[in-house]
Amino acid sequence: MAAMQRVASSLGTSASTYGSCKGTGVKVSDQFPAGLRVLVVDDDITCLRLLEKMLRRCLYHVTTCSQATAALKLLRERKGCFDVVLSDVHMPDMDGFKLLELLGLEMDLPVIMMSADGRTSAVMRGIIHGACDYLIKPIREEELKNIWQHVIRKKWHDSKEQEHSGSFEDNDWHKQGNDDAEIASSVHEGAEGVLKDQKKRSIAKEEDDAELENDDPSASKKPRVVWSVELHQQFVSAVNHLGIDKAVPKRILELMNVPGLTRENVASHLQKFRLYLKRLSGVAQQGGISNTFCGPLDSNVKLNPLGRYDIQVLAASSQIPPQTLAALHAELFGHPAGSMVTTVDQPALLQASMQGPKCIPVEPGMAFGQRLVKCQTNMSKRFPQNVVSAEEVAPGFVAWPSNSVGTVGPGSNLGGMSSQNSNMLMDLLQQQSQQQQSQQLSSLPEPSRVINVQPSCLVVPSQTSATFQAGNSPASVNQNYSRSPMIDYSLLSPQSNNSSLNIGQVSNGDLKTTGVSGYSGLGSISPLSSCSVNPDNSSQQVQSSTMTIRAARQLPGLGPDISNFQVSYGAKSSEVLDQGPLRNLGFVGKCTSIPGRLAVDEFESTMSNLEHEKFYMEMNGNKVKQEPYVEFTDNTRVGIPILSQLPPTSSDLMSVFTE
Amino acid sequence: MDVLSQLQRQLADFLASLYREGFVDDQFTQLQKLQDESSPDFVMEVVSLFFEDCEKLVNNMAKVLEQQVVDFKQVDSHVHQLKGSSSSIGAARIRNVCIAFKTFCEAQNREGCLRCLQQVNHEHAQLKANLQSLFTLERQIVAAGGSVPAMQ
Repeated sequence: MAAMQRVASSLGTSASTYGSCKGTGVKVSDQFPAGLRVLVVDDDITCLRLLEKMLRRCLYHVTTCSQATAALKLLRERKGCFDVVLSDVHMPDMDGFKLLELLGLEMDLPVIMMSADGRTSAVMRGIIHGACDYLIKPIREEELKNIWQHVIRKKWHDSKEQEHSGSFEDNDWHKQGNDDAEIASSVHEGAEGVLKDQKKRSIAKEEDDAELENDDPSASKKPRVVWSVELHQQFVSAVNHLGIDKAVPKRILELMNVPGLTRENVASHLQKFRLYLKRLSGVAQQGGISNTFCGPLDSNVKLNPLGRYDIQVLAASSQIPPQTLAALHAELFGHPAGSMVTTVDQPALLQASMQGPKCIPVEPGMAFGQRLVKCQTNMSKRFPQNVVSAEEVAPGFVAWPSNSVGTVGPGSNLGGMSSQNSNMLMDLLQQQSQQQQSQQLSSLPEPSRVINVQPSCLVVPSQTSATFQAGNSPASVNQNYSRSPMIDYSLLSPQSNNSSLNIGQVSNGDLKTTGVSGYSGLGSISPLSSCSVNPDNSSQQVQSSTMTIRAARQLPGLGPDISNFQVSYGAKSSEVLDQGPLRNLGFVGKCTSIPGRLAVDEFESTMSNLEHEKFYMEMNGNKVKQEPYVEFTDNTRVGIPILSQLPPTSSDLMSVFTE
Repeated sequence: MDVLSQLQRQLADFLASLYREGFVDDQFTQLQKLQDESSPDFVMEVVSLFFEDCEKLVNNMAKVLEQQVVDFKQVDSHVHQLKGSSSSIGAARIRNVCIAFKTFCEAQNREGCLRCLQQVNHEHAQLKANLQSLFTLERQIVAAGGSVPAMQ
């Protein structure tokens, strides 16, 4: 035993067993998992020492760091030198979740969180933020022995994505049918499903392979490009500029004009982005986003580049109906541009969404950005399942194709989507999408249903106005829901000025924005709640808003499946945008406030609201189990997503909301 | 019986009593298992680190609790850390106090917090003394030519 230990420790400490620091592709040494390069970050020295010892005994190569900032620096300097990161949640210099998101964004490393806090909500937050795993202290050696699987899984998926990225690039938009399927399934299965999807995709796009092979026969072996925030921002701008349906890697690359970046890099990133968007929408649908999802958004409401891009991504990747996008935008940015903290550009997004026949043109007013816009047209076609868009929505505006069930909530942008959000959004979406997928797939929403969401008014399916009228009284909208299914808006209005999230309880026919949770149903559309419905507060001030994007699940009774997905980001003052399937809603125009769909009642966010959401979700026919993911900060008014209930189900819904 | 056996028996009994009285728990066993040839003093090192950390945290918490306006969030964060480290090394009693401590923090109950802080101090001192005895015994055993048996 002693001899074994000696050998083991020598193996563990030698870095040579595990390949070089170039770190690309899946490198597995002979003694794998021995030699796995682990970075442990924990401000508690005792735990750090303990973990180091345990990891060494697992034959891993360990580096310890007691400060998150130092760890981040180390990782940035020595990219590719680590395989997995173990990080504590509570650290004085940086929140563990923030580190997690940054790592996921910048270098796509698997991160495992640790904490003495074993509450489900805390664990959920970790997952939502994108952690591969969440360990509860005290940690035992056995648990550490298994961390290598996360590394493999992640690398496997990533390399698969890269391989197929090329084939994906030029024909994406044309192979909508496939994409839809892929998207659906990917959303459905989350990360695990990506492989399958990619396989399908690759088959579908065989013809492209040849073209790509010349460029880079082994995409997975290329050195990984680190998509820093700036780079990603450039990417997003390029995608936005081109429009989601025209955003092919080559053009994006040209626009980005970054030396050293190859089309393959862009292609794979684009693919991921779209998946992300899908996941967002999927998540929203599932409504599984718990309030922890909102997570702590450190950043203020400023629109975080990620957020923007998320929206874009969403738009691009998912089939966000133009209306939805518009609506989302409207909601998110609906509030007077001024109030919108987000930097969303003119809502190209909205425009895009408008392309569809049913789309309601979105006015540029939407800060949200063009990004999402374009995708809709394509989206609608291939959005068989509600999927996806939800995912992307998180950060940005998610436009749901008319068919798509997912609703995109632009919210994220509002709240300064931070990378954290996006991560969590993605994760959340994945989770949700999985759940939702099954439900949503049921029916494709009819494209013709367009619901215009008017700012600050409840979204009424029949309304189609391209512009939001800030002044609309929130209540006005909801009355007419001719077809509008429940609309969930989860609005978190961080802003002090009562921008209120449109939290309204939608009573029969009223729109209630409740934590968006999926409301699905006949064309349920979850209004983007981030806009305050109140006429007064047309501007949404999104200070640190949490965007909640919930994918609404379609309620069986409701019209075309529209999944609202809400992605909520935790943000100090987060607005939760809940965008339900925009199909019917049609977000349109500049919304200074959240499109009318949302019930305009504002109310202080309280945890009870969240509960509402929970209930709401459950009561839907779909039994969507969505947990309130909106996290309210002290000063934010959290709008409870307004669930617009379809008459048929309204009773159910309503009952849930009774507080 | 020779000295070595006696010492070893003493150690075993002492250790058993520590477990019985809840000073340490199974995690401590895990800690002991980690001690090997490459790190013969591992347990002592980690435990010392813990005690240092504990003292620091207790001092910080005392300072915060003395303020006019107590920042309970800060206290809570310290307690959280103490809870994490104490549970990691198997200091069961301290960890249990932390659990109670946390609820007082959440309730913003200063008196309760101060009481818990005192308790932490007390448990800290006791555990420290006990573990010192343990290490001394172990050293004696090693000096007498024996090896320290790992528990279970």
